[in-house]
Formats: sequence, structure tokens, C-alpha cells
Amino acid sequence: MAHQAHAYHMVDPSPWPLTGAVAALLLTSGTAIWMHFNSMSLMSLGMILLLLTIYQWWRDIIREGTFQGHHTPPVQKGLRYGMILFITSEVFFFLGFFWAFYHSSLAPTPELGGCWPPTGITTLDPFEVPLLNTAVLLASGVTVTWAHHSIMEGQRKQAIQSLTLTILLGFYFTFLQGMEYYEAPFTIADGVYGSTFFVATGFHGLHVIIGSSFLAVCLLRQVQFHFTSKHHFGFEAAAWYWHFVDVVWLFLYISIYWWGS
Amino acid sequence: MSSATLAARRVLAAAASHGAEEAGAKTWKILTFVLAFPGVGVCMANAYMKMQAHGDHQPEFVPYSHLRIRTKKFPWGDGNHSLFHNGHTNALPDGYESSEH
Repeated sequence: MAHQAHAYHMVDPSPWPLTGAVAALLLTSGTAIWMHFNSMSLMSLGMILLLLTIYQWWRDIIREGTFQGHHTPPVQKGLRYGMILFITSEVFFFLGFFWAFYHSSLAPTPELGGCWPPTGITTLDPFEVPLLNTAVLLASGVTVTWAHHSIMEGQRKQAIQSLTLTILLGFYFTFLQGMEYYEAPFTIADGVYGSTFFVATGFHGLHVIIGSSFLAVCLLRQVQFHFTSKHHFGFEAAAWYWHFVDVVWLFLYISIYWWGS
Repeated sequence: MSSATLAARRVLAAAASHGAEEAGAKTWKILTFVLAFPGVGVCMANAYMKMQAHGDHQPEFVPYSHLRIRTKKFPWGDGNHSLFHNGHTNALPDGYESSEH
């Protein structure tokens, strides 16, 4: 077998970028077709292909890094840059929805009654479930930090406990938010208030689910001894993402739930 | 590591500056059970009590034209109910559904 004279990872050919791209095409066009022609086929196909791509691509990365030793320090540095850049792009994604919210709420139109919240909208009390949600996510930030230190100190059992608590808190948030969505006296169709509220909090909720899944994969990997006290970038990436989700919630809470009520 | 983690670590290192070791797993474990979980507990109790206080309240229905938009039907069911529709708190464009509890 040939040896390389550098520390970088020349990745083997892989079909997953292509299947991922096809999945993206099917999902987008499929959703449009669902909205206009009442058929879920393309969208469902895209969803299945996306899930298969996700599972197999990241499985391959774990094989390359954890079992085949390809994630040398320079490679890990590149992965760090990559995750940071990705999270930065997500920050801009949410910035757009905050822009929409502030655009609509700072200068409410006459159609809404010239006020914010608009006439006829009963807002949620920010000091009820939304405050609890804030406490839940902040607590999960503490538990995920406990998990990180546990991993760095080689404390296997504590790492498993704290990581599990973090995931449970994430599930609790999702459950509470789902309940709020059901109990809310306004819907997404209630003018620009409903649109900005549900699109911003909705995408945030999706990111909580994604973050919880990422952490759950880390838990499975921790149980299977993938992480060492010095090398556990997958976990760090998940923790960064989780903190990002927490920070987005704080902005949502202050802007939409509190100031906007 | 994230700036939030770095910031928290600095705060804790500063707080523990009289000879104690850097904030480790032990410190965060303590914070979890002494600060984080009681905080969640207090907020749970608070939310529960507030919900009991004003429980079921159905907002009055006024057929405002800027609410309950139906420019395009929802792509599910009869196209007139939002995804998390709640018959008790969400009126349809014509008013609350007759089967309210």
C-alpha cells in the first residue's frame, strides 16, 4: 500500500455528494409540487435519499477519522474551520428572519392597526413556558460543558451521564415548544406576526432537533469508545452547534417573545 | 471551542483564582445540580402556576381581514386548518368551530 508524504487526507471517491445533491433537488422541487399539485412522491423520495446520504456520508467520515487515522492535527484544524464557517453561515440564515421580524414590527403597517403586536393578536406570556424554555436551554449548555470536561478528563461514566442529560433537556425543549405551538392563540396564517413568529421559531426548533440528533450520535460514539481525552472533535462540533442553537434562542426570546409582546 | 465556553471558563478560572484548580468536570457537575436544574425547576413551577391561574381562555372572535389569511389553501386536510390547529384557541376565518370544548 502506498504511503503519503504529507499529513493531509486525500479522500476516496464517494457517491454521497451526488446523492445529497439529488436529494436537495428532489426535496425542493418535491415541496413545490406538493404545494401546487397535491402529490408527496417527489418530496418523500427526496427525504429518504437525504436520510440515506446523511447516514452513510457521516458513517464514512467516522470510519476515516476514528478507525483509519486520517484525522491528523492539520486535518482536524481544517474540520474546525469548516464547522466554524458552517455555523457562521447559519448565523446569517437566522439574521434574515430577524431582519424580517424587525422590519415588520418596528414600523407596523395600517393594515395591522399601526401597532405591534397587531390588533387582534393575543401574544404568549414571555414569563410562562418561553421562560422555562430559556432555562432548559441554558441548563443544557451547562450539562454539555460538564460533558466536555468529563471527556477531556477521561471520566467515561460522567461523560455519558452529562451527555444524556443534555439530550434529554433538548427533547424537553422540543416537547414544550410543540405544546406551545398547539396551544397558541395565533397561527402562521395570522398575518406577518404569525409568519415571522412561526418561521423564526420553527427553523430554530428544527435546529434544536438537528442539534439533539448530533449530540445523540456523539453519545452513541462515546459509549462505543470512539473519543479519546485528546481527540474528540465530533463532540466539540456538536457542542459548538448546541451553543449556537442556545444563543439563537436567547435572541428569539428577547426580540420576539419579550420585546415583541 | 466556542466563545461561550471560553468566556465561562475565564469566569470560573477567575472565581477559583485563590489556589483552586481550573474549572473541571467537577465544577460543571456542581453547577448542573446547584444552578441549572434548580433554575429549570423554579421556571417549571412558575409556568405551571401561571397556567393554572388563567387556564382556558378563548380570545374573542373579531373577523379582522389582516388575520386568518387564506390566500392559498394549506396543502393538507381541507386546506383551512393550520398545522398545529387548536379548535379551542384558533378560530377559522368565519369564527370558532362549533365543536369547542
